[in-house]
Amino acid sequence: MSRATLRACLVSTAIIGIAGVAFADDDVGTLTPEVAARVYAAKPNYSPYAGRNFPTRPFFGDTHLHTAASFDAGAFGARLTPRDAYRFARGEEIMASSGQPAKLSRPLDFLVVADHSDNMGMFPDLYAGKPEVIADPQARTWYDMIKSGKGGEAALQIIMGFSSGTLPASMIYGPDTRPYKNAWQDTVKAAEEYNDPGRFTAFIGYEWTSNTGGNNLHRNVIFRDNGDRADQVVPYTTMKPLGSDNPRDLWRWMQAYEDKTGGSVLAIAHNGNLSNGIMFPMIESFTGKPLDKTYVDERARWEPLYEVTQTKGDGETHPTLSPNDEFANFERWDFGNLDASVAKTPDMLQFEYARSALRNGLKLESELGTNPYKFGMIGSTDAHTGLAAVEEDNFFGKTTPQEPSPERLTATFVDNPKTKIKVMDWQVSASGYAAVWATDNTREALWDAMQRKETYATTGSRMTVRFFGGWDFDPADADNRNPGAIGYAKGVPMGGDLKAAPTGKVPTFLVAALKDPIGANLDRYQVVKGWLDEKGETHEQIYDVAWSGDRKPGSDRKVPSVGSTVDIENATWKNTIGASELIAVWKDPDFDPKQKAFYYGRVIEIPTPRWTAYDAKRYGVKPLPGTQMTVTERAYTSPIWYTP
Amino acid sequence: MIKRVIREPLVHFLLLAALVFAAYGLVTGQQSATGTIDVTQAKIEQLAGLFAKTWQRPPTAEELKGLIDDYVKEEVYVREALRMGLDANDAVIRKRLRLKMEFLNSAEAEASPPTEAQLQAYLDSHPDTFRQAPRVSFEQVYINPQKHEPDASAAAKALLGPLRKDANYAATAGDPTLLPAAMPLTDQRGIAEVFGDDFAAEVTNIVPGQWQGPITSDIGLHLVKVNERVPGSLPALKDIRPAVEREWMNDHRNVVEQQRFDDLLKRYKVIVEPLSADGSPSK
Repeated sequence: MSRATLRACLVSTAIIGIAGVAFADDDVGTLTPEVAARVYAAKPNYSPYAGRNFPTRPFFGDTHLHTAASFDAGAFGARLTPRDAYRFARGEEIMASSGQPAKLSRPLDFLVVADHSDNMGMFPDLYAGKPEVIADPQARTWYDMIKSGKGGEAALQIIMGFSSGTLPASMIYGPDTRPYKNAWQDTVKAAEEYNDPGRFTAFIGYEWTSNTGGNNLHRNVIFRDNGDRADQVVPYTTMKPLGSDNPRDLWRWMQAYEDKTGGSVLAIAHNGNLSNGIMFPMIESFTGKPLDKTYVDERARWEPLYEVTQTKGDGETHPTLSPNDEFANFERWDFGNLDASVAKTPDMLQFEYARSALRNGLKLESELGTNPYKFGMIGSTDAHTGLAAVEEDNFFGKTTPQEPSPERLTATFVDNPKTKIKVMDWQVSASGYAAVWATDNTREALWDAMQRKETYATTGSRMTVRFFGGWDFDPADADNRNPGAIGYAKGVPMGGDLKAAPTGKVPTFLVAALKDPIGANLDRYQVVKGWLDEKGETHEQIYDVAWSGDRKPGSDRKVPSVGSTVDIENATWKNTIGASELIAVWKDPDFDPKQKAFYYGRVIEIPTPRWTAYDAKRYGVKPLPGTQMTVTERAYTSPIWYTP
Repeated sequence: MIKRVIREPLVHFLLLAALVFAAYGLVTGQQSATGTIDVTQAKIEQLAGLFAKTWQRPPTAEELKGLIDDYVKEEVYVREALRMGLDANDAVIRKRLRLKMEFLNSAEAEASPPTEAQLQAYLDSHPDTFRQAPRVSFEQVYINPQKHEPDASAAAKALLGPLRKDANYAATAGDPTLLPAAMPLTDQRGIAEVFGDDFAAEVTNIVPGQWQGPITSDIGLHLVKVNERVPGSLPALKDIRPAVEREWMNDHRNVVEQQRFDDLLKRYKVIVEPLSADGSPSK
């Protein structure tokens, strides 16, 4: 990559930031020469801060939160509305559905309320004063009462009218009435009310919950747009005849929305671990045929990100798939599909986890020309409580019955007598959040950063993680006062691409991680590499590239364990081990310029008490045998791909 | 033995099934031929409208027929289910109905937007909700203690002189870090999110204009130059109208919902059987 192009990358972010236009190309590393020429400044500024418009801080949020408007959340007892959810995420204290006050340690920067599209009910618009309604004299009277401040009286009369069957025909909210207002419009309105550009972003979104046979193919759909566009559609559902459980149909819906409204949407899949082998297929489950060109193109087009960690388990990789990865056995949910109706078999695993999908994606790309699994990483909660609360010491569970109580340490979550699969509440993971390197905290800037995959997943911690790839990083760059500036100047950020290697060059990476300002120190920064060999086989390798203290790697190149300071009984730990910040430059020692590859960063914290330890301490409850009591929080960056 | 049989869930299910089928036979025997499902023009329009909102185009004739057939199927099932009483005691349906009632209340609340006077009164009576905390803007130079053992503090102090002398020195001074070199006007809470609580508390007390420090954070040592301090204030309504309106509406929604519920509750006599002394249900 030429120096001019590299600078163009740097300024390309500026264009996005200023003009707020959609980033047409999801490849952060390329830019057309015309645009580059227009914005390329020939003379560098003296001041290193002037003209800088690359993202300088990550924004933390949740792209996947349910409220009472989701039928299953409501059935579980969730009472909080989308408005409550936004208030809580903004840092306000809220009364949880279980009747206890809840507050985050720090506000989040953004939130997507993603309620299930199925069963998003229709409601009458009694109060909007639509002509069809107020044509009726009685309705007119009530309408006037409302307008003159006697709304309470009118409401009671209306409600009584419903129950006694004396309501005017125009107001009966049976299926045949015209004046409708639906729950979707209310969801959109709530997001509009709480969206506060520059301070807090309330995204419009929903979850498309394809779940045929209990196999999880769920996707969250996130709008870049405001209510004026989102209001023109209704969410896509999974039930025929209007909806479908096939992702191809969801992609068609997304295309129709963009074509008609000029808006922008993206979809994020989650919980491949509960799909029983169909989340990242090579053979399409709906047809039994190998993926075709249309599938891979559309998936790559609409699904730039994957939700790799959440309350229902971690989805980076599995010990069976990555036997040499000592951190792979993490918050595992591998019993079967979502409703536990079919048990897991080992052959399913490679089509369920992010790392194996990234590997299979390289294979598919050589066969079909497009990599359908070229996704970036985010984490989110999938909480059904209206509370995006996944800090270990402040965990409000996945569902309302799992909000803090003395019972949740020993209660059962899933129990399917047919398959004998049982999942306990303690297995629910206090995870995760999405971190987005955006130029500003707005719908447009955050969405554009998601689209170009400049994101990483965390399991609930708010560590800052940088990951840059290029051909010319040298060790001195790790001593640069400003790693972000040198990273953008000499390489591409997470989510980017490295094209054919210049002769004799090897990929170099500038990696940096800063601990959560109120969290635990860092154990190590690893680079995970996957590649495709000449025989068409894929491989993976993990490299420890920066770590705390003066530990020496063993003959297997692995850095020994950092140890632990956790006092489980008292649910405490000390930052006497680990490092507050890790910065290094790393060069791939095993590079073959002919082989397609991906690289992503994984940052591991020192061990800390898991939410179960806080519960045991605070409630004085004895955990069940086998309960996991510590956790090593972590972050996964979006990969950088090398494509010769 | 009998007790065990009675407790067996399968027995419960079979009994329930027998009851349901008996009821079904009774009801359908009486009414099977009499029901009319009238798919009105308005209904067809609504089905077509929903399709158009989903797909951004009207349905074809075939698609519309599919929607109507499905609606008829749903209607038949719903009516039969209601006749059989399958809606009774269904937790999902009950929660859904409750949600709809609450939705009515919130729609009512939104139908009466606040007046200027109401908003001003709300702002006056809730100053703490809207008060802008004091804010500072600053630059910082980071000193990594691990790189300056044994006396990082002395190493930091040694940088103060050059920093005060040369305005451009800050850009290259200190150790590498992901922490921002400068922060725009930010309140203490916002600073704490990036630098931690201790640092945030200290930096808000520094006098602007000169490089000072070092001050300590959980990450390491920092030399700091505060550029501007803006004292806390209560903004005027015109500057924060959307926020006041949002808060007012949120309160108003709760008030309306409580009023509506209280009104409805008056229509019922509620009898709660006494609890036992320890608060558990009496046996």
